Amino acid sequence: MPKCIIDGREVEFTPGKNIIEVAKEVGISIPFFCYHPGLSVVAQCRMCAVEIEKMPKLQTACSTVPTEGMVIKTKSDRVLQAQKATMEFLLINHPLDCPICDKAGECDLQDNSFGFGDAYSRYTEERRTYMDLDMGPVIKKNMNRCIHCTRCIRFGDEIAGIREMVAVQRGNNTEITTSDGRALETDYAGNYADICPTGSLTLHDFRFKKRVWFLTKTATVCEGCSRGCNIDLHHDAGVIQRCTPRENLAINKYWICDEGRFNFHYVNDESRITDPVLVEAGHLNSVEWASGLDQARKLMAGKKALVLLGSDLTQEEGKLLKEFFPKHLPNAQVFHFGTPGVSDSKSDADADKILKRKSKTANLHGMESLGFKPFEKAPAGCEVALVIRGGRAVVPALNGLRAIGIGVFQKEHAKDFSVILPGASFAEKDGTVVNFAGHEQKVARAITPPGQSKLLPEVLMMWINQKAVGAA
Amino acid sequence: MQNQNETLFIQHFNEKARPLDYYLKQMSGYSAAKKALGMSVDDIISEVKKSNLRGRGGAGFPTGVKWGFIPKQSAKPKYLVCNADESEPGTFKDRDIMRYTPHLLIEGMVIGAYAIGAHVGYIYIRGEYTREAKLLQQAIDEAYENGYLGKNILGSGFNFDLTVHRGAGAYICGEETGLLNSLEGKRGEPRVKPPFPAQAGAFGGPTIVNNVETLAAIPFIVNKGGDWFAKLGKLEKSGGTRLFGVSGHVKKPGLYELPAGGVTLRQLIYDHCHGILDDRKLKAVIPGGSSAPVLTADEIDVVVDIEPMMKIGTMLGSAGVMVVHEGTCVVRLLKRITKFYAHESCGQCTPCREGCRWMEDILHRIEDGHGREQDLNLLLEVADNINGKTLCALGDAAAGPVTSFVKKFRADFEAHIRGGKCPNA
Repeated sequence: MPKCIIDGREVEFTPGKNIIEVAKEVGISIPFFCYHPGLSVVAQCRMCAVEIEKMPKLQTACSTVPTEGMVIKTKSDRVLQAQKATMEFLLINHPLDCPICDKAGECDLQDNSFGFGDAYSRYTEERRTYMDLDMGPVIKKNMNRCIHCTRCIRFGDEIAGIREMVAVQRGNNTEITTSDGRALETDYAGNYADICPTGSLTLHDFRFKKRVWFLTKTATVCEGCSRGCNIDLHHDAGVIQRCTPRENLAINKYWICDEGRFNFHYVNDESRITDPVLVEAGHLNSVEWASGLDQARKLMAGKKALVLLGSDLTQEEGKLLKEFFPKHLPNAQVFHFGTPGVSDSKSDADADKILKRKSKTANLHGMESLGFKPFEKAPAGCEVALVIRGGRAVVPALNGLRAIGIGVFQKEHAKDFSVILPGASFAEKDGTVVNFAGHEQKVARAITPPGQSKLLPEVLMMWINQKAVGAA
Repeated sequence: MQNQNETLFIQHFNEKARPLDYYLKQMSGYSAAKKALGMSVDDIISEVKKSNLRGRGGAGFPTGVKWGFIPKQSAKPKYLVCNADESEPGTFKDRDIMRYTPHLLIEGMVIGAYAIGAHVGYIYIRGEYTREAKLLQQAIDEAYENGYLGKNILGSGFNFDLTVHRGAGAYICGEETGLLNSLEGKRGEPRVKPPFPAQAGAFGGPTIVNNVETLAAIPFIVNKGGDWFAKLGKLEKSGGTRLFGVSGHVKKPGLYELPAGGVTLRQLIYDHCHGILDDRKLKAVIPGGSSAPVLTADEIDVVVDIEPMMKIGTMLGSAGVMVVHEGTCVVRLLKRITKFYAHESCGQCTPCREGCRWMEDILHRIEDGHGREQDLNLLLEVADNINGKTLCALGDAAAGPVTSFVKKFRADFEAHIRGGKCPNA
């Protein structure tokens, strides 16, 4: 591999990678705003200026690729002065009110200002101001905080496939906005907030809900479709506050769709059933686990059962159930279910040109690989149904069968069930899911199951171990 | 005084010269194109290299060398683009070429296109030049009718289509990549270089962008040879004649055509332009369009050409010379210049977007009587933080005047700040 010299260190590099990336690999970080590895390079913010021997002017590290023997300085006096100057320029019109800005704590502008800027401002002229804009249900814009990096414009253009963010006016009056001030149309809009290096574009869903430094991040996998996008769940005190994409170049690059991003809301939703309940004449009566289980077993006793397993369950849960049924419910007819119209992996396909898949559960391909068959309709003679699901699989019509549910259910599900035993959502358990391309990925437990909810192995253990009441 | 007959351009600068008929009879029109279409591409480029023709738009890059950058083979179509945006304040030479001798430009473009292997050309013309755009179009129509444009030009088998594209009034579209973006229908914002237009320009194809005066010189070079053209110039590296647009406080402002490197600024102002208006004292000269760093009255014994000007810290640029006499408020002048660049900044890169307006605001304050002692150093530092650190040359264009005015006329600025008003007022 060819070599260049960065800050006096000999560094091997892959030809074609820019200086920012090459330097990053050896732990030298060059500050930047407009550069984003997933977007085209525009060299507009000028923050990444570096000194290169034999070149009279400073060069932007984002738009320059090293060549053999190139001598690059990222911390020379000229570079430090240029960084200081760029920070000053970016801040003269930026409000200096970090304490009331929702981006504080994870703001590139704040971080780079602290790292490379001056503590004092020499600016005494009037600051430029703009009107705020509500860009639809997902994003709120505060243009005063914008530093014109144009990442959002490029994201729309190059990733979301829709040129909805534009620059209007020019020079100092340039405004970054949606065309004609319309609401955003893309269903990947949440990414605009992620890539915005300042508090200019924020999520309606998250802004001013929680200071980011109180949040704990758990790296996990989205359960929204069979893509299995890598995500971080941000939570505090057992409550998930937001979900952001986590880089995985093989699967989702740097992005997630809005459906996946906002999917977590059911986890802490009030309508989630978190106690064992018996449903009687439409009323939900919370009971102890023991009575819930008793009632469930009583209903199942000696009957031919239809068992439906959500393809939102993990591989581990699937394997456990595969062993469980022949032993403990030998009469059961077991199928998997998930997305209406997408019963098996053959009918799963890309749902758009970006990330979304047709299967709206994460583990369709995994459940299939365990040998479970897709559910089409209940075989003749079934007298009772047992539905085990996470939070995503859509419960099919049970045609009046008395039903028992184990897993994540909302109050609206209750009318179709006699007993519901609360289980864990994807955010509350560890496990593995297999995406459409066969990638096995780890789902990680971010929070504890709420209320009386229990993990599936525990539920099954109780089912087996409690004194059987007319067991099959 | 120059002999008008020796000029390439100016002797033809009148309404009579415009029709094709005049061009054919009086200027041996399209004979160069005929000759060139029978020459090898390498021979043409080598003649242009020999001619020492340097870009007349402002950067002064050798035209033949630029043409040589175009790859011979290209998967994408190549383009020849004429930069007729002429938006640098103080510059008004291309306008006369286009309105009086449009066929000279068209012929130059036919030859240039042939030399680089382009079959499509564009003349990107300044939006305000509505009349010139119309006249150019008429000339292009004439050329099409007579077989000088279109298919099989002059029976050579070479095809070339030429389109006039009007700008929408942005200085930044005179920057060649800003121009190309605008031509493509995008925002007129300069692109990151590399890639340079010769590699990937208009619509991604290899593209040469040349100034009007540059292309209009090509027929002379082809007809009379590169050596002949080179000898018209009086300096080693600069061939041909140059059009100087002189404006401001001189007795005879206007367009002058003189041998490249053939006169000093003093000769231009005092001999050719008959001296300063009302015989007042000279205060300052902006020698190459408003972006050129200003010169004081003591600095005008300099040959008006690329290297000599560079040596004393300014530039020849587009050779738009603006003369300023005593009694003019330089603070106000600089504020006006800076306002122009702040207004014309495209806004994509940080130093130019933020810095130009900041400088304008400070200057506005000083002129308004609210200047502070520290403002002058602040101005110099802001200019220095812009200079050389922007994505395109507009930042340098804005910083150069500020740095030079404040350094060279510091006393005037200080008097403004201390007195709270213009001492001349």
